[in-house]
Amino acid sequence: MEVDEDRSDFEKDEEEEDGSVSDLLRDRFRLSAISIAEYEAKRNGMEISQPIVACIADLAFKYIGQLAKDLELFAHHAGRKSVTMADVIVSAHRNEHLAASLRSFSDELKAKEPQSERKRKKVPRKDDKAIDGIVLIPDL
Amino acid sequence: MDNNEAPTFEPDLIRAIFKHFWIKKAQEREKNEFPNTEAVDSEVGAGTSKKNRPTSANANALKLSCELLRVFITEAVQRAGTIAEAEGSTKIEPTHLERILPQLLLDF
Repeated sequence: MEVDEDRSDFEKDEEEEDGSVSDLLRDRFRLSAISIAEYEAKRNGMEISQPIVACIADLAFKYIGQLAKDLELFAHHAGRKSVTMADVIVSAHRNEHLAASLRSFSDELKAKEPQSERKRKKVPRKDDKAIDGIVLIPDL
Repeated sequence: MDNNEAPTFEPDLIRAIFKHFWIKKAQEREKNEFPNTEAVDSEVGAGTSKKNRPTSANANALKLSCELLRVFITEAVQRAGTIAEAEGSTKIEPTHLERILPQLLLDF
């Protein structure tokens, strides 16, 4: 790649580093994607050939690029600079089942969040643990 | 969470990747707005100028994105696995992925 003379060395370094960082990120992403795919295949008792796994990892990386663009657009459209869970759910709105499953996952996350005040008020800490085993019926 | 058994993405990795895309976008925006300024300026300015600050994401949104990506991959494997099973084989081959790819991409 040709670099103009008047650009500083600093910038050249920056650019090179930028490229290598994105390569590193892509590789790390692929590795995670591969382990997920292999785990899933094993769980289903299937064998999966290596090229397919690599293919799926690549697809997922393309997908994350698209997702990044979508999330940014949604957040900006809402006049925000930061992406929230609602944006992620909206990005899956074409698929109702997917959106529903994301919504329930987001509810789980919200419930787990210790610093969210509004949830805390509703469910006191003590009941938190008991709640998944037994249903508490308050005495009247 | 079933984190210990089922592998998933690390939110930090996803944040880094998102950031990478968003910073690139922010730099492009800056360049479009001030086409005359030198590239050197926009390189530094992307993070500092208030209007063109790159987008960020909150922690839960990142976790949710991890889940979305995980579901994408598991769906790909499971659908391809179903086709392979229907053909009476236990190995997922390229043809199986090809068969499910169009619908998968429509669904995500």
